[in-house]
Amino acid sequence: MNAQTKAAIVPSKEWQVRPTKGILRLAALLVLSVAMIYPILWMITIALSSNSGMFKVPPEWFPREFHFRNFIDGADTIHFLRVFSNSLIITGLITLGQTVSSLLIGYGISRIQFPGRRMWFFAFLGSMMLPQIVSLIPVFYIFAKLGLYNTWWPLILTAYFGNPFFIFLSRQFLSSIPFAFDEAAKIEGASHLQILTRIIVPISMPLVATMVILAFQASWNEYLLPLIYLRDADLWPLSMAIAAFSSQYGNTWNLFMAANLLYMLPVLLLFFFSQKYFMQGLGSLNSAGIK
Amino acid sequence: MTFNRARRDTLTGYLFILPGILGFLIFVAYPLLSSVYFSMTKWSGFDKPTYIGLKNFEYMFHTDPTFWSSIRLTITYAIVSVPLGLVFGLLLAMLLNKKLPAIRFFRTLFYLPVVIPVVATATLWMYMYQPQYGLANNILRLFGIEGVDWLSGDKMALLSLTLIYLWGVGSNMIIFLSGLQSVPADVYEAADIDGASGWLKFSRITLPLLTPILFLQLITGLITAFQTFVQPSILAGDPASPNMSLNLLNLSIYSNAFRGYEFGYAIAQVWILFFIILIFTIIAFGLSKRFVYYENEMK
Repeated sequence: MNAQTKAAIVPSKEWQVRPTKGILRLAALLVLSVAMIYPILWMITIALSSNSGMFKVPPEWFPREFHFRNFIDGADTIHFLRVFSNSLIITGLITLGQTVSSLLIGYGISRIQFPGRRMWFFAFLGSMMLPQIVSLIPVFYIFAKLGLYNTWWPLILTAYFGNPFFIFLSRQFLSSIPFAFDEAAKIEGASHLQILTRIIVPISMPLVATMVILAFQASWNEYLLPLIYLRDADLWPLSMAIAAFSSQYGNTWNLFMAANLLYMLPVLLLFFFSQKYFMQGLGSLNSAGIK
Repeated sequence: MTFNRARRDTLTGYLFILPGILGFLIFVAYPLLSSVYFSMTKWSGFDKPTYIGLKNFEYMFHTDPTFWSSIRLTITYAIVSVPLGLVFGLLLAMLLNKKLPAIRFFRTLFYLPVVIPVVATATLWMYMYQPQYGLANNILRLFGIEGVDWLSGDKMALLSLTLIYLWGVGSNMIIFLSGLQSVPADVYEAADIDGASGWLKFSRITLPLLTPILFLQLITGLITAFQTFVQPSILAGDPASPNMSLNLLNLSIYSNAFRGYEFGYAIAQVWILFFIILIFTIIAFGLSKRFVYYENEMK
């Protein structure tokens, strides 16, 4: 008996069979999700309140006033246009670098036969286990020696040497593509680079999308590296500007929360429009994906 | 002809993985090897390192007033928060692993805090923990509890950090969920026919089948938790007046290197952290031999 016929016999929607259990489950989920999401709602409440509204006693639990002007003032406080474009440039170049280099390496390891490829694959895989902190200071020393302290180069350059996790993802994905494609192209006289760009990449779009999204998210969020490499506020990405704004505390909570929401917005939008790829990246840790 | 092709393939192959090889040498091999030496030097990061033998470690173990407390804090944080994250993540995944109305909406909702940038999360919580107007005390006030100071004292600071960690429990949940969905339904049906109770099904089927990903998450969770930096550094606020209750080892390394310009000493601390991570990873692997169930082994 296969899975499909079984599904036809046993009703899969348990809550229709035992509604009380389903309702209890839903109620528990509802309570938990309110607790989970409330901090964000509080953030929005503060972001929309007036200067006096933030510190009301008793406090407001939901937005009552809607001072959308806070978003403009909050953005001004952190020089939003400047830090946003800084973030966009840095993130864009890192995403490009990690995706392209990891694809190249993944292709080399999975589709070209040469001695030593297994050894290098395991070396890359093993470097995933190395704590980031071990390389932080020696690498800082290299970049400082090269005169690249207080520039974007240390953040960007490292992305062009492959990302171990992405190499792993690429290798897994590319290994599953039939080799008949390559052979046909080779007979036509195509080089490996042509096979990669003309044949492999077009059919590997899910892989590319997963890497692009994960790389974008990780570098948009990055804080430690800009913190150690970038001294001038002119060069700061959003993460640094937000952290600096938060430590001033002061009495402009509403402006801070508005600015913080603006910082979160791009990744949230990315998440809502590409949930599938977020889940795929994580799902690859386990053999099965999320259905 | 074939010989030439094999040689060409070897060359092309190495050209393709060249970025990875360079990256491995520069960002993995060199830092590892050089920091063995750097850990035994006095070095500001700008002058030439001077060899001083094991003095850094001597100072660390015997003199540094902050070292042992930050070790204790780091280890406590990791062994409290990671298992809690696993337990809540699994419970949540089991709650969400049913076909219910709007279940996708709930899954998205619980995963949402994971997507938010860590700086945004940490700053948000810093404001939530503010004693007078912060959300945390606003809520406690409803129950008549006044003026809790969330960030002072080791126990409170640990609790506050753990709460932030648990807000991101969605990352555990989503991995468990994919694990639960890959458990074949006929196993449960067979158990139903035998009249197994809910608890029996959980402890004899679900949990054993999930042990491989439980173990994977334990290892990656520990490695990440031991290196926690952003949350305590933002909660502590001003780096000039460090809050000792939040002084995790990674924070202490950062401030010794990039605020105090004691690169040699900071790298010595890195080795200690690396060592702790290694020990815990080995312990976890040891546990896995006894508890992790790999399906293939049974065949």
